[in-house]
Amino acid sequence: MATLIQTLPFLVDGLLMTLLVSACVIVLSLIVGLPLGCVLAFGPLWARVPIRLYADFVRGVPILVLLYFVYYGLPAIKVNLPSLLAAIVALTAFKSAQIIEITRGSFQSIPTGQTEAAKAIGLTLFDRFTHVLAPQAVRRFLPPFVNSVVDTVKGSSLVSLLGIVDLMLSLQQVIGRTHVALPLYLIGALMYFAINFPLSALSRRLEKRFV
Amino acid sequence: MAETDARASAGTPVIAIEGLTKSFGANQVLKGVDLSVGKGEVVAIIGPSGSGKTTLLRCINFLEEYDGGSIRIDGTEVGYRDGAGARKRRSDRELAAIRVDAAMVFQQFNLFPHLTAAQNIMLGLMKSRGRSKAEARAIAEKWLARVGLSAKVDAMPSQMSGGQQQRVGIARAVAMEPKVLLLDEITSALDPELVGEVLAVVQELATEGRTMILVTHEMAFARDVADRVVFTDQGRIVIDAPPAKVFGEQPHERLRSFLSRFAGFRPNPA
Amino acid sequence: MANYHFNFAIVWRYAGKLFEGLLLSLELAAASIAIGMAIGLVLALISLDGPKWARPLIAAYVEFVRNVPLLLLVYLVFYGIPSAIDLQYDAVTSFVATLAIYSGAYLVEVMRAGLEAVPRGLIEAGKSIGLTPMKVLWHVRLPTAMRIALPSLSNTYVSLFKDTSIASAIAVPELAYGMRWIETQTFRTVEVYLLATPIYLITSYAILLLLRLAERRYAIAR
Repeated sequence: MATLIQTLPFLVDGLLMTLLVSACVIVLSLIVGLPLGCVLAFGPLWARVPIRLYADFVRGVPILVLLYFVYYGLPAIKVNLPSLLAAIVALTAFKSAQIIEITRGSFQSIPTGQTEAAKAIGLTLFDRFTHVLAPQAVRRFLPPFVNSVVDTVKGSSLVSLLGIVDLMLSLQQVIGRTHVALPLYLIGALMYFAINFPLSALSRRLEKRFV
Repeated sequence: MAETDARASAGTPVIAIEGLTKSFGANQVLKGVDLSVGKGEVVAIIGPSGSGKTTLLRCINFLEEYDGGSIRIDGTEVGYRDGAGARKRRSDRELAAIRVDAAMVFQQFNLFPHLTAAQNIMLGLMKSRGRSKAEARAIAEKWLARVGLSAKVDAMPSQMSGGQQQRVGIARAVAMEPKVLLLDEITSALDPELVGEVLAVVQELATEGRTMILVTHEMAFARDVADRVVFTDQGRIVIDAPPAKVFGEQPHERLRSFLSRFAGFRPNPA
Repeated sequence: MANYHFNFAIVWRYAGKLFEGLLLSLELAAASIAIGMAIGLVLALISLDGPKWARPLIAAYVEFVRNVPLLLLVYLVFYGIPSAIDLQYDAVTSFVATLAIYSGAYLVEVMRAGLEAVPRGLIEAGKSIGLTPMKVLWHVRLPTAMRIALPSLSNTYVSLFKDTSIASAIAVPELAYGMRWIETQTFRTVEVYLLATPIYLITSYAILLLLRLAERRYAIAR
């Protein structure tokens, strides 16, 4: 038991790394994904096709494969990123595709009658978007978005395979030193659970409130 | 070929439709429609499903783009600008300005669910009519009182019955002071016991002299409120005459068979 | 970038590994999904029709599995359990067991939604022609629920296929592992990636297409 308590500082360090990676990925994927999602929902064909291709391509490949490519492949073509950055880039590329899908879905699930009513009272495209469509899209966006935050935290565990010391890898390092495997895995599971469960519960509550 | 007993309207008609054609893919829904509506007139459009009556209405405020012919509101062509020779589709801004004058009330109400009743009405007033927030609020409250919903001024649509939502929908359209009101089967989605309260509001508006075009299945209402009744069939206007003639003499075979489907409808009030 | 000399020939020699890997990935997915469906269906039925005390237990299972990374679960089953109790199994068995438990948690939700969406009227019709509850389940509820759930199932299955890539972390020689293996042998990362990605894409798409075909034949529009 004493050994377990001694391991906590290492685990917490790992946890902080996990949270850092997750936060970066979430913010960056929103910056990339939200505008592209809007273009996918409203834009002209020549803009929608490449975005669609990108989203389908990235989501058809496992995150791990994407991570491997960015981490090992980019240096091969002389693009040298520090490993943390490479991992974040790869995860962001993956998550953005999800955000693009969620954004598109949020707008397209708004009944067409809303756009018609907005047109009927003489609103321009900008006003229709700002006052009628966007508010309703946000409500539809939040539940799946919070779910994708949970996915991001889970996906961040893969960076351990690239040698980045997140919660997952620090867990394994500690196990390597103390040889107490199962209890530590369970503690690690509990830590991930502690982060994700409140988020999942939040997503369900948001869904009830808004949808 | 329309049989018209249309009243001679003084000055330019508010709505002037000529030779309107519209197809959805291979299906030609409007096959050359002529209709003119004068100021203060109430025109009811009736007809079987698929006859084109809703499409006709939705072309007036360009929610449907028409293929041929012209629609003018107070002399201004709705969807297109007459360029040299060719017709050019109007831009979003121009359309927005024109649509304000042909305000529409929808079968599915289409209230903005994230706004209160008052805010639903205020949005158009502020953005399209340029009113200040205070002015818009006052107008919204006035109209909500007119339709009997003072108690629901700050309620959300989800907190209102269908009949109440539709009355807000009517208030939202009328508050814009449009040149013509377009009512698209506004009672069809309501429970029967809620229809009356909505029709009462429309009756009042008609009595006030508002120009209205309504597509409806409520035959008794059309007979009592409309100045003219238009019967559409297979993409054309077959009859355009006062209710007494349309419901009384029923000069057309198709009209007779259409009306006979409405069990319990007595053409002449007892 | 311009100095990178593409050399597909070397990589091509090892292409067999990729296809063997793909085969294994598909087998892993199929086995896990089959077991997962069984778990999901049984638990969904218990959750809907069974004793009230079972519901929080099932919910706990679902919540735990869905909020913890798959990688951690894989390690937990492969390294953690054998270290605590005297049980040995190989990597493939371990992974299939893990992915089955993982997919079960997702499939419970999908199946529950499908079963709940079966119109009451259909069940009552079944009862009124004298079918016992078991028969109603088998002949009315299950077929209908499956058809309603097909779109969600399609997406879940494709997801699970992609999740088999995690098996590479415990050296199961599936597709992702094969990729890494060739890459460490040849150092030709870009070429390997260019070969392997289409394999994943085409396979995912093929699975989706097959399921969409089934949807068209069987699904009920909601």
